[in-house]
Amino acid sequence: MKTNIYGTYNWFLTLVIGLIMFGGGDLLAQTQISGTIRDEKNTPMPGATITVKGTTHGVSTDANGAFSLSASADAILSVSFIGYSPKEIPVEGRTKIDVQLEVLSQTLSDVIVVAYGSQSKRNITGAVQTINQKELNDLPAAQLTQKLQGKMAGVQINQTTGIPGQGMSVRVRGQASISAGSDPLYVVDGFPITGNIANINPDEIENISVLKDASSTSLYGSRAANGVVIVTTKRAKAGTSTISVSAYTGIQQLPEKGRPDMMNASEFAQFKKEVALENGQTVPDMFQNPQQYGAGTNWYDAVTRQATIQNYSVSFNSSKDKFSTSVVAGYFKQNGVLLNSDYSRYSLRINTDYKFNDRVKIGFNAAPTFTDNHTPQSDGIWYNTPSIVQSAILTSPLAPFKNADGSIPLTTNGYGSADAPNWYNQIQVVKNTSRNSGLLANGFIEVEPVNNLVYKSGINIDLGNSVSDYFYPSTAGSVFNAPNEADASRINASHGNALAYSWLWENTLSFQKTIGEHQFDLLGGYTSQTAHAQTGLFTATGFPDNKIQTLNAAKTITGTTDIQSWTLLSFVGRVNYNFKQRYILSAAIRRDGSSKFGVDKRWGNFPSVSAGWVVSDESFMSGIRPVSFLKLRASYGVIGNNNVGNYTQYASVVATNNPVGNQNLSGKSIAGLNNTRLGWENTKELDFGVDIHFFNNRLKFGYDYYHKTTDDLLYTVDIPISSGFFNYATNIGKLAFWGHEVTLSSQNLAGNLSWNTDFNISFNKNKALALGTANAAIFGDNTITEVGKPLGQLYTLVWEGVYKNQADFDQSPKYADAEVGTVKFKDVNGDGVVTNDDRDKAVVGNSAPKAIFGITNSFAYRKFDLSIVGSGALGNKIINVSERFTTNLDGTFNVLKGVSRRWRSEENPGDGIYGKSKANTTSYERDWASSKFVYSANYFTIKNITLGYRVGLKENKYIHGLRVYASVQQAFVFTKYPGGNPEVSAAGGLFSGSDYTTYPVPRTFTLGVNFNL
Amino acid sequence: MKLKALILFAILSSCKNDFLDKAPETVVPAAEFYKTESDFQQAIVGLYNPLRALYGTGLADVGAWAMGEMRSDNTTFSFNAANRGYADREYVDLFTDDANSGTTSNKYNSNYIIIGRANQVLKTIDAATFDEKQKNNFKGQALFLRAFCYFDLVQYFGDVPLALEPATSFEQTALPRTPREDVYKQIIADATLAASLLPAASAQTKGYVANGAAYALLGNVHLVLKQWENAESALTKITGYSLLPDYASVFDPNNKNNAESLFEVQYLDEPTAAAASNFGYNFLPILADPGVISGFPSGNSNSYAGWNTPTPDLINSYEAADKRKAASIGFYTGEGYVNRPYAKKFVHGAKIAPNTNDNWPVYRYAEVLLMLAEAQNEQAKPSALTSLNAVHAHPRTGLSPITTTAQTELREQILKERQIELAFENKRWPDLVRTGKAVAVMTAQGNKIKANPQAYYYPAGISPVAASYNVSETKLLFPIPQREIRLNPLLKQNPGY
Repeated sequence: MKTNIYGTYNWFLTLVIGLIMFGGGDLLAQTQISGTIRDEKNTPMPGATITVKGTTHGVSTDANGAFSLSASADAILSVSFIGYSPKEIPVEGRTKIDVQLEVLSQTLSDVIVVAYGSQSKRNITGAVQTINQKELNDLPAAQLTQKLQGKMAGVQINQTTGIPGQGMSVRVRGQASISAGSDPLYVVDGFPITGNIANINPDEIENISVLKDASSTSLYGSRAANGVVIVTTKRAKAGTSTISVSAYTGIQQLPEKGRPDMMNASEFAQFKKEVALENGQTVPDMFQNPQQYGAGTNWYDAVTRQATIQNYSVSFNSSKDKFSTSVVAGYFKQNGVLLNSDYSRYSLRINTDYKFNDRVKIGFNAAPTFTDNHTPQSDGIWYNTPSIVQSAILTSPLAPFKNADGSIPLTTNGYGSADAPNWYNQIQVVKNTSRNSGLLANGFIEVEPVNNLVYKSGINIDLGNSVSDYFYPSTAGSVFNAPNEADASRINASHGNALAYSWLWENTLSFQKTIGEHQFDLLGGYTSQTAHAQTGLFTATGFPDNKIQTLNAAKTITGTTDIQSWTLLSFVGRVNYNFKQRYILSAAIRRDGSSKFGVDKRWGNFPSVSAGWVVSDESFMSGIRPVSFLKLRASYGVIGNNNVGNYTQYASVVATNNPVGNQNLSGKSIAGLNNTRLGWENTKELDFGVDIHFFNNRLKFGYDYYHKTTDDLLYTVDIPISSGFFNYATNIGKLAFWGHEVTLSSQNLAGNLSWNTDFNISFNKNKALALGTANAAIFGDNTITEVGKPLGQLYTLVWEGVYKNQADFDQSPKYADAEVGTVKFKDVNGDGVVTNDDRDKAVVGNSAPKAIFGITNSFAYRKFDLSIVGSGALGNKIINVSERFTTNLDGTFNVLKGVSRRWRSEENPGDGIYGKSKANTTSYERDWASSKFVYSANYFTIKNITLGYRVGLKENKYIHGLRVYASVQQAFVFTKYPGGNPEVSAAGGLFSGSDYTTYPVPRTFTLGVNFNL
Repeated sequence: MKLKALILFAILSSCKNDFLDKAPETVVPAAEFYKTESDFQQAIVGLYNPLRALYGTGLADVGAWAMGEMRSDNTTFSFNAANRGYADREYVDLFTDDANSGTTSNKYNSNYIIIGRANQVLKTIDAATFDEKQKNNFKGQALFLRAFCYFDLVQYFGDVPLALEPATSFEQTALPRTPREDVYKQIIADATLAASLLPAASAQTKGYVANGAAYALLGNVHLVLKQWENAESALTKITGYSLLPDYASVFDPNNKNNAESLFEVQYLDEPTAAAASNFGYNFLPILADPGVISGFPSGNSNSYAGWNTPTPDLINSYEAADKRKAASIGFYTGEGYVNRPYAKKFVHGAKIAPNTNDNWPVYRYAEVLLMLAEAQNEQAKPSALTSLNAVHAHPRTGLSPITTTAQTELREQILKERQIELAFENKRWPDLVRTGKAVAVMTAQGNKIKANPQAYYYPAGISPVAASYNVSETKLLFPIPQREIRLNPLLKQNPGY
């Protein structure tokens, strides 16, 4: 291996020197030829490739479809563009050549990246959806997955929080597991990465394939059950040389919709006054005259801002002779709409291929990244962590966040809400930073010893390193615990570090053979992968003051370290066969051995088969003119999910220290039961699909039905504590998932004004077939999963308003502390009393949507282009847990405006939603989860609107194409959900559907420019 | 190249099983533990660890004091009008608690975690080879703690699942409730064996239980079962302990594991140990600045506090001359409070907020003497008076000896002496239950509170809900936690819940 690398390097040097010495050499008499390339509608085609046949000399057309290159008078020009039939034009002495290209009769000749290779779209027999870089370019988003929203049938992509650089949840085909993860496997240039996909610069990406059914994923075996996302990065196209620059910058702001509708200062003072009166207490002076206060502090505004977002990337692609390289350098910076939050990413990718000779090709890719985050504690309930968004809105609007003299108060004490810090100050003084560096790199060699037999060996490395620092000064606090600057004992800090690496060594042998009209494609391979992570977390107290914020200033530092690693050995094999490209068969298998599983269940096989039939090629179809293409597909396979702890199979003995007297002694205790039979989840998936195109491919329709059953669920099953343990990791239970996916792609208008619509919708359903001990239901915070029912349904008391009056009270079932004017619940089991347990809890909704859909409309008119992307979900519900606090009747917090319409007396019962504020009668309304907090989360969001304009440039040597565009991300959210974000519910497994308040998702306006040099 | 690859392939294939063995590096697999004396030494330390959760740890915690004291007439809580977030802590006091109570599940869970660890030790220790004396010591401690935890469970929950072996499979983890008679049999067997295996206090490292603790437990169990003779026989075997001359010093964190202590839960305020108690902060009235109480640093409002507040009834049951009153109950005036009482016995300040260094006494020699007095009195033995006066008239109380010899009267005297001497030590509620007084005493207590809520620390205008203090026989047991009922179809909930 070593000699080869050096050999390559020498070749590389020779090549570079050669290019420098002879690069400008003019060997033959050349003439300058120019012209324009147009499509079938006579529209100029930017980016078409023109090469001189038999050489590597070539250019691309500019934004106006024009080109200019030198060639000899007897040369032949090859003109090509993806999706169009290539043409060869003899120059025949001409200096001006215009070419019109025609759409390929089937765009199905597109090559699609699949597991361990690529295939023409026509020959695909599984459920695979692709998207290429062009469709992603203009969306101002840090993360790849964010850009995919609304584009993929059957893939639910939710932005669960607006924290810059975080919060995307991706579920393929409604995938859920009880305790194993549900995220898809991300494969970057053939490498199943272990690091975070969010750290990859989306501008490096050429295309993405989402593999959905078992036949397309089974080559990833025990990691395939959640679906596979294959990311292919940019490589230079043969014979071209381009530099392109893209940049956008914009402003993010919070739309009016989704803001909590809290009381203003005079409303809050009025509320406080009424609560005091209702409880027979003296009204404090402060609240005697509520009207004097006006609006007061809007705490949501106080901790948020307009923020900038910017992205720059420069890419250089060159492919000459044997050498091809692609470089993408990027810088992305997003300031968060919450103060003191930001995310920046510096990235570089160099993909280099070298063709040693006709038989040997080698490649090296390296992509270092560096990210830097400042992340205040924004999400969650105020009492778990001092989470700023919720804490801030619960604070009295009478409290100033800035004094009249410009000074900043430390606390909001004394204004009628619970003692708390000034959140405007808090968000700035608490430091929470993390910095990550990563490297994705690989090197490979491809050898073709005999024709059509290719041996490929590659080494891949994923390296990640992160440090995080946290500092909590004495000027910070939490609700009920206001800052006290003088009290240094409040100060604490932490420092964390992590080093993670994974390497993969992969060897494959592939063989292609065509015998007459029979095509064979064989693949066999062997891979081994190791992942290792070491983390440390050190927390410190005993700082003398806030001046030095690093751990060295602390008196007491405690630390813990962890090491996690796993290994995987695998064999893969696949046979693709087709006859006349009309009858297509494929069979694949992976055999995985994993260190994660018990010695008795270490190896597993994951086979699949699939078949396709291009019906439209049959002679009997020739009479059906409108149908231009029809393919039927079917597949079946077995795949696995191994997302379980690395050492779950072992009963571990862990440190359990305990003091005796004044000495802390080392202790140990057993932390679980061992399970030598722990294995992966097995998913058996069946898929039927049809692809049908009408009217010369102007209307394309795709449909898939899938059904999968997952058994041997990896499941940390709750067990009775009388065993000494709370849970036990095992394979138990069985779930079924099924659904329909429809895609429609229509060229509504062609010609000067073109209009395309892409629409997808999917309907996912699921059901638990078997669960833990005696099929005992699984409970989450507010969810239940029962045999025979859908997974993770919302499960609470059933809310029935308030006991309006004595008559209502007398004839209604009650809980022990019920009174007239307190919250009323349904007596579900009919035993005459209301109890806050399974007797009166009921299913009150499902957090999984019945349908998810996306729609993209793209228009082009002359030099303008416009695209509108929307996505939505229907039929799901969210329990808005934060309302427990924003409707607190005690007068401890600021509340929603609606609370003013609470029950006051039988004569003045309000709107029947909120009970009375009499002390000691309020806690059940708040503390007992009920359907009061459950809302429909149907939504439709215009994710993006982009308007672009190709600037007409005079012929010049420097800029070949220039496009400017304006874009709005998260343009409009249509929903009746009263919380901040209807996408919040996508958190994993069986416990989704709770909104604990999250970082708001902003609307982003950007201006961007792309130009080619 | 290809040849090299194939060779590497062959090598990798042949060693693939090693390649796939990844044992955890930061923990020990159980199969490699429970072998040596050091292993068991550490396992024993680990066995004591959940006692801290059982007796209380953390802010606004749910320690044993809630069910042992707040449920009784000894203590209640200071109604926290500004923060109703801890309302579920109040339900145990108000008799409105249900199977969702965190207080109840803390007791249930902590006991079973200790039992599980004890079972693991007992299952493996015989096969290990090391010093027999040391082995007996460890085994005795594991047996003691298992018996102690089952005793706690059976008193508060009645019939409970009786696990005596570690589960080896998922199927074995669900057990039905064992009738309490059988649970008691096992407790007596374990405690008896523990007493015979454990060394005397003089030979045991301070802080670990010695045979005295096992005899005290045995005596206590027999008292509950009204087996007076057995109780006396066990209790008289306890030697090597004595009452401290000063009552307050018994609870002083500077005086942990003193001559009077048979068994106490160990806490440590050393920040790196993460094993501090927080009793002081929880039991004080809610204060913007706890620094107003001597020994506490300034700042760090204990807005979650006000628990286990002594009732006026307890305060009034002290005889005027009783020096124990001042050592047990403190009063604070300020921040809107006038003479608000708190359980001073467990309030000794803190070096760093909110970590306190107080241990929790479980068995101390004064209780042994009182249990002995009770056992003797029930057998109509005159020695009862001597045992009672050893506590009541000890110079540290400042009281004169009790002289009555009438059995019934003495019975009341002993119970009252327990209330005073052992105030806040989680003895009162079990005493009320085992003496059959709980329903009457607590119904009366509830009426008193409702008649005058402000005397019981309710703010003006606020009173306990109508449904509170609805005390009946079913309330003598607590509900089995909801989680267990859901997970284990073999369990049936206690009646009334």
